[in-house]
Amino acid sequence: MIASLGRFGLFVGTFARASLTHRPPVARTLEEAYRIGVRSLPILLVISAFVGTNLAFQGFYGFRSIGGQAFLGMFVALSGVREMVPIMVAAMVAAKAGTEMASQIAVMRSREQIEALEVMAVDPYWYLITPRFLGILLVLPPLTILSIATMLLAGWAVVVAQLHQNGQAFLGLAFGSLYTVDFLFATIKGACFAVIICLVSCFQGFTSERGPAGVGQATNKAVVYSAMVCAILNYFLSQALYG
Amino acid sequence: MQFLVSLGRFGVYGARVLWRMVTPPFELREIARHTVLITVRCVVPVVAVVFPLGMVLALQGASILKMFGAPQLLPSLIAVAVFREVSPVLATALVTAQGGSAFAAELGAMRIQEEIDATQVMGIDPLRVHVAPRVWATLFATPFLGLLGTLAGFGGAWFSASVVRDLPGGIYWANLWSLTGPRDLWGSLVKTVIFGLLVGLIATWRGFYAEGGEEGVGRAVNDTTVIAITAFVVLNYFLTSALFGGVG
Repeated sequence: MIASLGRFGLFVGTFARASLTHRPPVARTLEEAYRIGVRSLPILLVISAFVGTNLAFQGFYGFRSIGGQAFLGMFVALSGVREMVPIMVAAMVAAKAGTEMASQIAVMRSREQIEALEVMAVDPYWYLITPRFLGILLVLPPLTILSIATMLLAGWAVVVAQLHQNGQAFLGLAFGSLYTVDFLFATIKGACFAVIICLVSCFQGFTSERGPAGVGQATNKAVVYSAMVCAILNYFLSQALYG
Repeated sequence: MQFLVSLGRFGVYGARVLWRMVTPPFELREIARHTVLITVRCVVPVVAVVFPLGMVLALQGASILKMFGAPQLLPSLIAVAVFREVSPVLATALVTAQGGSAFAAELGAMRIQEEIDATQVMGIDPLRVHVAPRVWATLFATPFLGLLGTLAGFGGAWFSASVVRDLPGGIYWANLWSLTGPRDLWGSLVKTVIFGLLVGLIATWRGFYAEGGEEGVGRAVNDTTVIAITAFVVLNYFLTSALFGGVG
């Protein structure tokens, strides 16, 4: 474990040097941003909608015991914006974009395309990883904001249609209890998770073993390790931002 | 249209696998081997994800409940949230990410290397020997990991509330069960069993029908995580509505 941590450190170092010493790959970054952002959007919105519905259930049940149904809006808004949406967005981006990065790069490794890039004097870190890194960093904050909006909308729908509570009060309290910094912090969290997911997934792809089993394994490790690191980092981020 | 076609294919595949799961002969050794393997593989990820999330819940919950002056409500709220939603969903997400995608990768590699065709040529039913035991394994492992995750979540919340903050441990453990009952345990088990079955079927389906070389294996793993997580998060809403009447 220590050895792979060290290898990961070296990988990040090489990547950072390659990205800083080369011209930024603007066109490829936009291409990756489009691929990650637009293709992940529908699934992210579905997930966020159902996070909102279940948060509404949770809050209603929990606060009913102290007669605080009226505070439902605050509960859904705060827990959703601060924790559940960033972490679920990270989980989905790891599952979709992260596994895609890992498997694409692992296939390239397996077919010796990475070696071919090196032979052509193209830095593979700069060519393969920098655009993915910048691309995911570019799209995750807007994806987080859109997910928050969907989450609140779905929570509102459940509150009105299924729990028969006052929708106006829900929305009023939800927006009343959120500050601009909450959105800022949510996007900061999203950006930190994006960095982790991208680096971990690309590292797994880059160091994968050859052959179909190796590709599968790299993809598998990519999503598990990024989820674990994100969940642990999330605690420290929350402690630092809201603690 | 494409979606409906896939849904139909998945339905037929699911029915064929389910039939082989409940009719003898059972591959008991294979079932046991896969169950142990997937459980062992998933224990660390589940604990490593749910424990910090429990800590975060306590951290955030404390600041919300302080506004009401009801800090003793914290443990019972956390217990409900972890039991009913957080642990089943996150444990299943990690079973998908770790176990399900491993199954998809294994079966995909077997398909690409024509091992599945070889099994068939030998007159052995690949769905029975390769697929059914794996689906049983996710079905058995997910409820267990869900309960383990629940304990880890309680532990994380306790750590954050009592050790980092200053809520006395006695208050925490005394209030933990005030809003939860046997119904939460059964509900949580029913949820995770259904999720486990769904994840097992989706993962083996994508792996079993992988095509197109190494990229195909990668795509099978990718599809598995995305389809399975989306499917069970959507299903979770309906299960919460049905099991807990939405609100309990």
